[in-house]
Amino acid sequence: MDGASNQRRSRILVIEDNPADVELLRRALRYAGLDCELAVIDDGADALTFVRQSGTLSGGPVPDLAIVDLNLPKHGGLEIVAAMRANPLFSELAVVILTSSSAPRDRAVLERFQIARYMVKPPDLDEFLKIGSELKQILAAHDRRERSIPT
Amino acid sequence: MRTFRDMPIKQKLTVIIMSVTAAALVLTGLGIVISDSLLFRATMRRDISALAQIVADNSTAALAFDDPRAATETLASLKARPHLTAACIYLLNGAMFASYLRPGESGGCPAATQDQLRFTSSGLLIHRPVDLNGRRIGTLVMLYDLGEISEHIRLYAQAVLFVLLVSSAMAFLLSSRLRAIIAEPIAQLAQATTAVSETRDYSIRAQKLSDDELGKLADDFNEMLARIQSQDDELRKALLAQAAALQQTQEVRDSLRTTLASIGDAVMSTDAEGRVVFVNPVALKLLGMAEADVIGKHLDQVFHIVNEFSRAEVESPVTKVLREGRIVDLANHTILITQDGTEIPIADSGAPIRSQNGSVQGTVLVFRDVTARRRAEQTSVLLATVVESSDDAIFSKDLNGIVTSWNRGAERIFGFSADEIIGRSILAIFPDGQTEELADILECTRRGERIEHRETVRRTKAGELLNVSVTISPMQDPLGRIMGASAVSRDITDQVRAAERLARLNADLQRSNESLALNNQDLERFAFIASHDLQEPLRMITAYSQLLIGSYPGQFDKDATMFVGTIVEGTRRMRELLTDLLAYTEIRAGNEELAEVVDLNLVLDDVRQNLKAAIDESGAIVTNDILPKLRAYRGHFQPLFQNLIGNAIKYRGERPPRIHVSVQEEDGKLRFAVSDNGMGIEPSYHKQIFEVFKRLHGKKIPGTGVGLAICQRIVERYGGRIWVESQPEQGATFLFTLPNVAVHTAGEN
Repeated sequence: MDGASNQRRSRILVIEDNPADVELLRRALRYAGLDCELAVIDDGADALTFVRQSGTLSGGPVPDLAIVDLNLPKHGGLEIVAAMRANPLFSELAVVILTSSSAPRDRAVLERFQIARYMVKPPDLDEFLKIGSELKQILAAHDRRERSIPT
Repeated sequence: MRTFRDMPIKQKLTVIIMSVTAAALVLTGLGIVISDSLLFRATMRRDISALAQIVADNSTAALAFDDPRAATETLASLKARPHLTAACIYLLNGAMFASYLRPGESGGCPAATQDQLRFTSSGLLIHRPVDLNGRRIGTLVMLYDLGEISEHIRLYAQAVLFVLLVSSAMAFLLSSRLRAIIAEPIAQLAQATTAVSETRDYSIRAQKLSDDELGKLADDFNEMLARIQSQDDELRKALLAQAAALQQTQEVRDSLRTTLASIGDAVMSTDAEGRVVFVNPVALKLLGMAEADVIGKHLDQVFHIVNEFSRAEVESPVTKVLREGRIVDLANHTILITQDGTEIPIADSGAPIRSQNGSVQGTVLVFRDVTARRRAEQTSVLLATVVESSDDAIFSKDLNGIVTSWNRGAERIFGFSADEIIGRSILAIFPDGQTEELADILECTRRGERIEHRETVRRTKAGELLNVSVTISPMQDPLGRIMGASAVSRDITDQVRAAERLARLNADLQRSNESLALNNQDLERFAFIASHDLQEPLRMITAYSQLLIGSYPGQFDKDATMFVGTIVEGTRRMRELLTDLLAYTEIRAGNEELAEVVDLNLVLDDVRQNLKAAIDESGAIVTNDILPKLRAYRGHFQPLFQNLIGNAIKYRGERPPRIHVSVQEEDGKLRFAVSDNGMGIEPSYHKQIFEVFKRLHGKKIPGTGVGLAICQRIVERYGGRIWVESQPEQGATFLFTLPNVAVHTAGEN
């Protein structure tokens, strides 16, 4: 694991319209000691375009993890996740839902989109900072899984 | 065995011929044999006598010269005679002089006795004296066996038997010929009679084979057959004709009977004495009797009729018909009393049945049940009364709108008396300018259509306008032609006014209801969105306040730290309020279904678990009755009980809380009670405490003031009611009712 993170910085795509939450997320990741590259899209429509056009917007390679808010302007997070799963580039991407909505989601939907984790944004700062280490674990698990698939 | 008498003639003839022939032959044979044997005997006697004389003569010398040898030789010459058994010559003194014995013979010579010739058992014995010159000098004895005779007889018998057999055979042959001549015609005749008697075919004829008596017999027989045949044919024809006639009669009778049986009226007929000879099913049904109980009885015994009013026996129509010899009708109001006492009003008529010569042979009685007609008459009287006494206006008009009847209700409602309006146009009660409506009504009537409860306006004689509900039905004459219409009008002026008022009120009510519901919906949506969306900025305030303190350690003085703490505390408090408010609004906003079976005992276990810290800390004891299982939504009952029990712990008195949850059935509802021994509530606040954000206590006892409002909302959602019974310092009991949605199980109290 350590070897994997030493090789290159993890790329994390954050689809979130609230810059305050992005800032908290950044701090949480730093708090977890995760050295990563954060790409932020703060608009549903932009996110959809990005996902459909296979990353031409960023010009960069496919991220290792996507953190998606559900309540986004113009297009909801689930729509974006659906678009990801429809694109072979993103079909295996680890996706975490991070939302303020505590409404319980249909488990079937989560399974259909292979959501790695469904997280409610904690009201308390300490709780929020703990998200960082959870994301780190998910990244590591996903990395391990990817490498275990024979090429 | 058949006796001779029973034998067929053929055999009889054979037997007769054969026995006659045989008897003749046997007798003839016997005669021949007997006479021949007698003749033979005589011949033999003569022959033997001669032989004995010769031998005696030839022996004379030997005797005379006492030369036995010579005598013996003489005797020996006798051996030429095979049937000579022995021959001896005795001296006069009886001594044997010479003898001859047929070779093989054992015995000796028979002794000399007398001179004679006789047949003995051993044969023919001959004594012959041997004389010399007339002087007897010895005796010759010869024994001759009878073999010759028997042989002779046997031969004869054989011949006779042969002849007998031959002649019998011939006789048999002859007899069969003869018997054919006689027996054949008889046999044929017999065959013919047998055939006739067996087949009854009278066209069979016997064959005539001769002109003798048998031929005559055959002729006579045939002639007799011919006569029988012709008679038989005639008889057969006659029988067929009779059968056909009978069938025709039967058919006529059957068809008449069927007609009478299927006729709708009751029909009975009697003979001249009044005894029932026929009764049809309708009559039997009316009489309530079985056919067997009626036929043969006198009509008076089965047909009891009385006058409806006087109850007096009415004279039997039969008696009357038989007496008067003409058709009679029953008087009106005649009642038939049936077997079981039922009374049936009937109409009937009786008529005589006359034979061809005009004499009365019997009667026929036709009657029918007139109950329905009677009822119809009564009904029409009743209807007339109903019409006359009705509060509604009931009247009729012809196709031109001319009034033909007018009841008292019509007089009262419209003000026209019957005399005034009958014969005039109904237009009199139509408001001015409504001739079109009348034309429309009359058109409908002509088409045979009915107008039901049409609400319209009419005018009284005084000119006042009335709201009426009219029903107009076409009326038909007996041929089904529409001849007018009946109309029923009801004055609904008051009703119409009341209905209009009601409709106005209803419309108002509905409008305000709609706006209320709209407001309510808006409010709920607002509350939901507000409480949900307000969480976001609160979260930011909280997080960033904490971030502020955490990022600048040591740079905040005591006041600044306290200020930020207050901000964090305020947002925390606000978040609590919003969370509870959200829970409150979600009770109705949620779209759950009531399909779960909720075991309240398990719900209570969960509640105890959730409140474990508070229970442990306060030393509370929470007990409960065995609670029912409900068909309800689990998400409702946990907050309900948790709020009530949590409150009981929170607002406790000096003593450790004792809380009991009980349930009982009351008026088909379940009534739950959560009672405690806490601080109690002033009765003046009993209503207020269920309102949102209403609290009776300050910050000392934390709370949002939403808990009881949530409880109320849940209970009301099930159509129940929640209230509190309490006095200060005396504990409180929160009660709520639920419709009995219990799932009945054995565990229920």
